Amino acid sequence: MSEALAVETLTSGYGEAMVLRDVNLRVMAGEVLAVLGKNGMGKTTLLKTIMGFLPAYRGRVSIFSKPTIGEPPHHLAGRAVAYSPQEQAIFQELTVEENLKLGLGRRARFAPELKRVAAFFPFLAERRRQLAGTLSGGEQKMLIMARALIARPKLMLVDEITEGLQPSIILRLADVLRREKSANGTAILLIEQNISFALSIADRYAVLSRGEVVDEGDARQPGADTSIAEHLSV
Amino acid sequence: MPDSAALAYPVRLPSQRSRIERRLLLVSSIVALALAAAGPLVLDTYSISILIRSFLYGAIAVTVDILWGFTGILSFGQAAFFGIGAYALGLTVTQYDFTAPVVTAALIGGPLVAALAAGIVAWLGFGPKVSPLYISVITLVLSVIFVQVIYSGGDFTGSSSGLSNFDTFDISVEGWFRIAGAFLVAVTAAGWIFVRSDFGRLLVAIRENEQRCRYCGIGTVRVKAVLLIGSAVITALAGFAYAGYNDVIAPDLGNFQFGTQLVIWVALGGRGTLIGPAVAAVLIDFISAWLSGSLPFIWQLIIGLVFIVVIVLLPQGLGPAVADLFRRGRTRSVAARLAPLPDADVAGSGAVPAIQVERVTRNYGSLHVLQDITFTAGAGELVSLVGPNGAGKTTLIRCLSDGQERSAGRVAIEGNPIGRLPPEACVRFGLGRKFQTPNVFDALTVAESLRIARSRQERLSVIRTADEVRLPAAAMRVVQATGLSSQLGTTVKHLSHGAKQALELAMVLAMEPRVLLLDEPTAGLTKSERSLIGEVLVQLVRNHGLCILLIEHDLEFVREISSRIIVLHQGSIVMDGTVEEVTNSELVRTIYTGEPHAVAA
Repeated sequence: MSEALAVETLTSGYGEAMVLRDVNLRVMAGEVLAVLGKNGMGKTTLLKTIMGFLPAYRGRVSIFSKPTIGEPPHHLAGRAVAYSPQEQAIFQELTVEENLKLGLGRRARFAPELKRVAAFFPFLAERRRQLAGTLSGGEQKMLIMARALIARPKLMLVDEITEGLQPSIILRLADVLRREKSANGTAILLIEQNISFALSIADRYAVLSRGEVVDEGDARQPGADTSIAEHLSV
Repeated sequence: MPDSAALAYPVRLPSQRSRIERRLLLVSSIVALALAAAGPLVLDTYSISILIRSFLYGAIAVTVDILWGFTGILSFGQAAFFGIGAYALGLTVTQYDFTAPVVTAALIGGPLVAALAAGIVAWLGFGPKVSPLYISVITLVLSVIFVQVIYSGGDFTGSSSGLSNFDTFDISVEGWFRIAGAFLVAVTAAGWIFVRSDFGRLLVAIRENEQRCRYCGIGTVRVKAVLLIGSAVITALAGFAYAGYNDVIAPDLGNFQFGTQLVIWVALGGRGTLIGPAVAAVLIDFISAWLSGSLPFIWQLIIGLVFIVVIVLLPQGLGPAVADLFRRGRTRSVAARLAPLPDADVAGSGAVPAIQVERVTRNYGSLHVLQDITFTAGAGELVSLVGPNGAGKTTLIRCLSDGQERSAGRVAIEGNPIGRLPPEACVRFGLGRKFQTPNVFDALTVAESLRIARSRQERLSVIRTADEVRLPAAAMRVVQATGLSSQLGTTVKHLSHGAKQALELAMVLAMEPRVLLLDEPTAGLTKSERSLIGEVLVQLVRNHGLCILLIEHDLEFVREISSRIIVLHQGSIVMDGTVEEVTNSELVRTIYTGEPHAVAA
C-alpha cells in the first residue's frame, strides 16, 4: 500500500500561539484515519497546515511521497487532494452547479460526474440552478462534500462534515465515504466530534490534545470508543 | 469560585492598561501643546501659515479614521462638511457686517448645516438592506453637490472664484497657529479616549459584524448616524477656522478630490491607529506645500509612488509599522474579569404565549420554504424543532426574529406583534437568537464580546473601560464549563469553531432573554460540553420560566431536554407532540432518522 499522507514532527500555530506540537501521522492509500479531540486542540489547524493555508514552524508534510511544505493550496488541489473546510466553504453567490464545477478537475466532463454525486445527494441535481447561499445549513454541508467528491480525489481532508446534518444523511454519508475508499482507494483524513460516525468508517484513529497526539489505535478494535471517550472527557 | 480560572491567567485589567495609557496621553498632549505654543518662535512665517492648514487637516483625518478605520464607514464627504463650515463664515460676513452676533451665528450655523447634511446622508446611506459601499457613494455625491451649489450661487457665493478679502478675526498668524495646534491636540486626545473606551469597542463590533450587534439589541444605524453627524460638526469647525484664518475660500475646499485625499492620508498613516492618520495628514500636507514650490510637477508623482509602495509593502499603513519598532517582547493580554449577577427572575408574566405564530409563510420567489405555520409556545416550555435538512427550520427562526423576513402571517413575542420591525426591536421584546454557524466578533476579545452583549443592560461608557463584565448565572456556567473563562483576553478569531459556538451562546444568555431561539447550539461541541449546555437550558426553562425554541439534530439530546417536539417537513408542521409521541413515530423514522432508500449501488 502506498502512502497518501505523511505528517512528521509538524509544529504550527498562529503567530506566537503554538497550536500543534510535533505531530506525526500517516494515512495510507485506501485508508481512513479519524482525528478526534476536544475543541481548540488543534484539529482544524492540522488540516490548514497540511493544505498550506498556515505556515509550518517545523516538520514535514508529504502527499503521495512528495514534500509539500511551502506549496500553495491550489497546487495541492491539482494533485487530487480535496479539502472540505468547516467554515465558509461555499460560494454563496454562485449556483449549486457552479460550486460543483469549481471542484471538478480541468479535463473531466461535468454531466457524468454530476450524475455520480447526485446519486448520493439527489437534491443537487434537482436544484442545480439555485444560489448556494439560499440552501439550508445542512444542504450546504452536503454540497461541500459533493464538491470534494466530484473530482474523484485520492486524498480527502474532511473537517467536521456531520455538523448540522440529519441522522439519516449522516448514515448515508458514512456509506458514501466507505464506498469511495474501497472503490477508488481514496485516503481520508477525517476530523470529527461525532465518535460513532468516525468509528463507523475509520480504519485507525488518533486523539489530539493540546496539539499533541495522545492516543492512537485501530478503530475496529473493541474498546476504541471508550478509550477515545476517556480522552475527550478529561 | 466564579472566576478562579480567570484570575490565575496572567491578564491585566482594562483600568490598569488605561491608567498607563492615559498618563502617556496626558504627557504627550502637554508636550504637543507646548510645541504648538513655541512653534511660532522658531519657524519661519511660510511654514507657520502652511502648518495652520495642516493641523486642521490632521484633525479631520482623525474623524475619517474613527469613521473608516474603526467603524468601517468609508466617507468621502468630509470635504463637503469642511466646505460648509468655511462658507458659513465667508457668506455671513460678506452679507452682513463682521460683528460678534453674526460671527457667532456662523460658528453655530455652519456645523448645524453640516450636521443636517450628515443626517440626510445617514438616512439615505445606512438603510438595513444597502451594502457598505452605498454610504461611500452618497458621501461622494454630497461633495459633488456642494461644489455645484457653490458654482451656481453667482455673486452670492462667488461662484468658481470663491470669496476673498472678507472681514475676519483680528488674530495674528502665530495666534492661529496656536489655535489650530490646540484644536488638533484636543480632537486627537478626545478621539483617542473615545476609541479606547467600551463604546469604542462597539464601533469595531459594528465594523466586524453589524448583524450580530443588531441581534444584541443595538440600533447600529443610529450609532453610525450619530458618528457621522459628530464628525461633520468637528470638520465644519475646522472649515470655519480655515476661512477665518485664510480669508480666501474657494469651491474646491469641498470637492471630492480633497475628500479622497483625506482617505489616502488615513490609509498611509495606518487606519485604526488614530495618531497615524493625524501625523500623516499633517506631514504630507506640509511637505507637499514645500515640494509643490520647488518641484511643481514631480511632487504629485512622488506622493503617488510613496502611496503605492506603502500599500504594497505595509498594507496596514505606516503607523502600525512604526509602532512595531517600539514594541518589545510580548504584550500581555488585557481583559475584564467576570462577575456573577444576582439571580433575577426574567420570565414574562405567563399571561400571554411567549411565542405566537399564526399562518406564517415564507417564499423565495416561487420557492415555498414555509407554508402556513401556526403554533404557540409558552413560558417554561423547551420546544425542539426537528426535521430533515432543508425543511425550513432556520427560515422559521429567521421569521421569528426579524419582521422583514416573512412573506405573510403574524408573529408575536411575549404578546408584542413584531410587525415589520428590525431585529434590534424584536430583541427588545425579550428575544435572544443564536445562529447556526458561529456569529461573533472576530476582532474583539472574549471579554469584550460579552461586554457588548450586555450593553443593553449596562450602558457602554464613551470614556472609560469597565473592569467587570457582569454575567447572569447561565452565561457564567457556559463560559466556565467550556474553558472560555481562561481565554477572556483571547481574540475571538483565534478561538476554535466549538469555542466560538459556546461564546455566541454565552453572549445570547448574557442578554437575559425571556424567549430563546437556538439554532444548533451545541454543534461542534464535545459530548460532555453538550450535556452541560443541555442542563443549563433545562434549568433556565424550569427555574426561570424561559421559553426556548431549539433546532437540533442529535435526537438523543433532544429527547433528554425537550418538553415538546415540533417536526417540520418541506416547510410545513407535520407533527407537534410530546417527546414520546414524536420519537416513536413512524413518520419521524421515515423522513428523518432512518435511511428510507439505500443509495443505489
